[in-house]
Amino acid sequence: MSPVRPKRRPFPWIRTIMAAGVVGALIVLGGQMLEQERVGGESPVTEAGPRVPNAVFPTDTFVGKDVPQPINYSHKLHAGDLNINCLYCHTYARRSKVAGIPPTAKCMGCHTVIATADEKPEIEKLTVMWESGQSPAWNKVNDMPDFVHFSHERHLQKFLFDNPDMKVEDSREVCAMCHGDMVEVGVAKKMRPLTMGFCNTCHENNDGPADCTRCHK
Amino acid sequence: MATKIDRRNFLKVLGLGGAGAALAGCDMPSYATLEEGEEQVFSYLAPEEYMVPGIGVWYASTCLQCAAGCGVHGRVREGHALKLEGNPDTAVNKGKLCQMGQAALQTHYNPDRITSPRIGDKNVTWPEALAYIKEKGRGAPAWLTGSIGGHQAVLLDTHLRASGGGTHYAVETINAQAWQAACADTLGDAQPNLHVDKASSILSFGADFLGTWISPVKFMADYGAFRGDQRGVLTVVEPAMTLSGANADHWVAARPGSEAAVALGVANVLASEYGVSISTLPNGAADAIAAMSAGRVAELSGVDAKTLSKIAGTLMSNHPSLVVGDGSYETAAAAMMLNLMLGNVGATITPGAELIPADLGVRSGSTKALADFATDAGAGRIGTVFITGTNPAFTAPGGLKIKDALNNVGLKVALSMFEDETTALCDVVLPLASSLEDWGTHVPATGADRGEIHVQQPLMEKLYPDVLGLGDILLGLSQDAGADGLADFEDYYGYLRTAVSAMIGTELEPAWQAVLQAGKVQAPAQDRAFTANGALSFNVAETKAPAPGQLHLITTARQGLFDGRHANLPWLQEAPDQISKAVWDSWAEIHPATAAGLGLKDGDYITIGSDSGLITTRVFTYKGVHPDAIAVPMGRGHTDYGRFATGIGVNPLSLLDGTQDGRTGEFTNTATVRVQATGDNRHLVRLMDTDRQYGRKLAATITADQHRRNQANKQGSA
Repeated sequence: MSPVRPKRRPFPWIRTIMAAGVVGALIVLGGQMLEQERVGGESPVTEAGPRVPNAVFPTDTFVGKDVPQPINYSHKLHAGDLNINCLYCHTYARRSKVAGIPPTAKCMGCHTVIATADEKPEIEKLTVMWESGQSPAWNKVNDMPDFVHFSHERHLQKFLFDNPDMKVEDSREVCAMCHGDMVEVGVAKKMRPLTMGFCNTCHENNDGPADCTRCHK
Repeated sequence: MATKIDRRNFLKVLGLGGAGAALAGCDMPSYATLEEGEEQVFSYLAPEEYMVPGIGVWYASTCLQCAAGCGVHGRVREGHALKLEGNPDTAVNKGKLCQMGQAALQTHYNPDRITSPRIGDKNVTWPEALAYIKEKGRGAPAWLTGSIGGHQAVLLDTHLRASGGGTHYAVETINAQAWQAACADTLGDAQPNLHVDKASSILSFGADFLGTWISPVKFMADYGAFRGDQRGVLTVVEPAMTLSGANADHWVAARPGSEAAVALGVANVLASEYGVSISTLPNGAADAIAAMSAGRVAELSGVDAKTLSKIAGTLMSNHPSLVVGDGSYETAAAAMMLNLMLGNVGATITPGAELIPADLGVRSGSTKALADFATDAGAGRIGTVFITGTNPAFTAPGGLKIKDALNNVGLKVALSMFEDETTALCDVVLPLASSLEDWGTHVPATGADRGEIHVQQPLMEKLYPDVLGLGDILLGLSQDAGADGLADFEDYYGYLRTAVSAMIGTELEPAWQAVLQAGKVQAPAQDRAFTANGALSFNVAETKAPAPGQLHLITTARQGLFDGRHANLPWLQEAPDQISKAVWDSWAEIHPATAAGLGLKDGDYITIGSDSGLITTRVFTYKGVHPDAIAVPMGRGHTDYGRFATGIGVNPLSLLDGTQDGRTGEFTNTATVRVQATGDNRHLVRLMDTDRQYGRKLAATITADQHRRNQANKQGSA
């Protein structure tokens, strides 16, 4: 008689792969829930949203990261308390695809006269840069991927300049459609997800173009 | 028992495992993929009114990727050059730009650029480098450059004069020296204007005018007109197909070196069959033509009598024609004989123009200059040499032993944007600004309106603070050498502006701005006139089939990597070759019959050896090569030219022995080589890997006969 050999158990391949699949799925779902928590926080955007007639504006509860900047520039102070039009500083928005950061010369235009370097430490930083011939290196808050062509000019044209019920003085409301209310935020922060889904929703609601190559060119 | 994968288990695994994998693969469709605060954005310090971020501004400048000197427009956005196109206001390139010109952006933004002067391996400051040159320099310095013209050439001459009268060697591997010599001998004008657009038929003997010859973009633009309503007929005779050959209606393979025999054979047919007079030709030509019977042509070139008759018939029935030829003096001169016989001179060939300040004109590069340099350096006659715009350690024939010659020079100073085989041999390397960062004027090789020269202006700030423009270096060296009248100029911009202002007769700002806006300036010039022909001598080479086991090597030139200067531009390495469609590697073109005879097939590695060198590359069988020939394009095979070029492909120039053409002194581009299979085979990566369409009609074709019948029907019914 041949000796009884202990039967080797075959490695359970099928179960292993299935278990790995379940674990993978749990990790992904869990990750998404955590993500949901991060973006589901309290939004400082006003309940009513931007006041833009003739437009269906997107709603979202996204709140971006705090992005440290070389100078703690406050939108709340400038655009809110002092009520300076967005387009006064972001002057390229109506002429170009990018809104542009205002040239340092524009900042200094006011700050050599009011709220000068002697009075405010943040303005002192700016003055030092101006005098040494350097622009501040701002950290980009709203950063579109390179394969997306978004034009500020086109959107301002539709919602602000071609909109009979909008006054240019209220440009802030139009900007808020994609940027949230910067007055509430203070130092700039990303307040809308600016994902393709976000763009598409708005394009559908406002009869924007739907062909791929309009943005991905 | 092994785990059994039956149908049920398979579906289970696929279902649940797959669901997990698919979810994991989604990479969390969330906001996390968009960046916040990762990149930086800078504003202008003080805005220029015409500068709007996001909107490009176009500036005119000049392309320096080859010696043609095309005008370009460059789009600048946020202070960076982003795109180059042809300047539509120039007569040379009429708004067109070739792939080499487009790729100038990669020359400019190349990560391998030299950013600091160095002595040996040590980075130094400019004052240190210049002091070193002053201290170590011996004797009158010589200059070794590519083709150079405009005010840089004027300053170069000034420097040579002021520093003791050294020699200027202008070296260009891909040139038209043979053609220019033949034109000078027959017309008294080395650079006549060629009117491709006015010809009804063109016959080319190895002059790749659509690819690399003299001013390819100009010829291409004119070729469009040539192929317009009155469709011109193009015939090309050459040993290996070029871009021009690929466009030809009738392509004829001639044994390497036998193009002159075919040209004289065509002349013979014209004289004997069509009664074209040869009595007005220069002395010596008539005898050479009479001696070139159809039988003799067939013996030398392998081109039969029927083909000669067909070529001659095409020329006779499509008048006026234009015959061009290059590669050897005899070929070019024989082509010019055909032009004289057919009455093309004055019709499609007209006199060029001479710039009045003659020292502005182009010093056309040659390979003879390289031979001269090697001789002079070898004999110890050169103490100091400045090298710029040429890479002799790569382009010199292997048999020339250029490295020994260079090592015999006391002090070698390279002015270069990149480390290459030549800068590696140099004692001092000075970092050069790119063509998009520099000022200059350039005299187009051909095709400009009379006296027009192109102006080069920087499209953007220098990427690296320590690089200097060629003009600035030349000015500094000339001032240092005590040249007269230069002391007042702070930089080359000041010099150039003064010189151009003198040319246009005003120093006012608007006039200068108008020059910059146009990208060109009118220099005083006068038309040359053709003069009577002297005597010509034809030394038609005795070409015959190679001995068994041997082939005639041809080093072919391509628009793209050119003579190797553009091998460090990934766009051009990636752009499929015009003939083989191969990318990122070298290959050897062999006729399928020859390959079969040698037992070779596509992708087989072979060694190609001559007395001067040995290279190993892959076979690409192709019918566009003469059966006696093996063609290897030049440009690849760098051993030291940055991350993109080093180690890619092989350099066929290393196989040449440095034999010089008897009349022009140019290096021949052919050699007899031994070919041997190594036994290895690997697929050559090509776009459009096959010539077959597998019955799918990807490109619909009809025969020429059918096409002619269709045309006739159309005309009949109209």
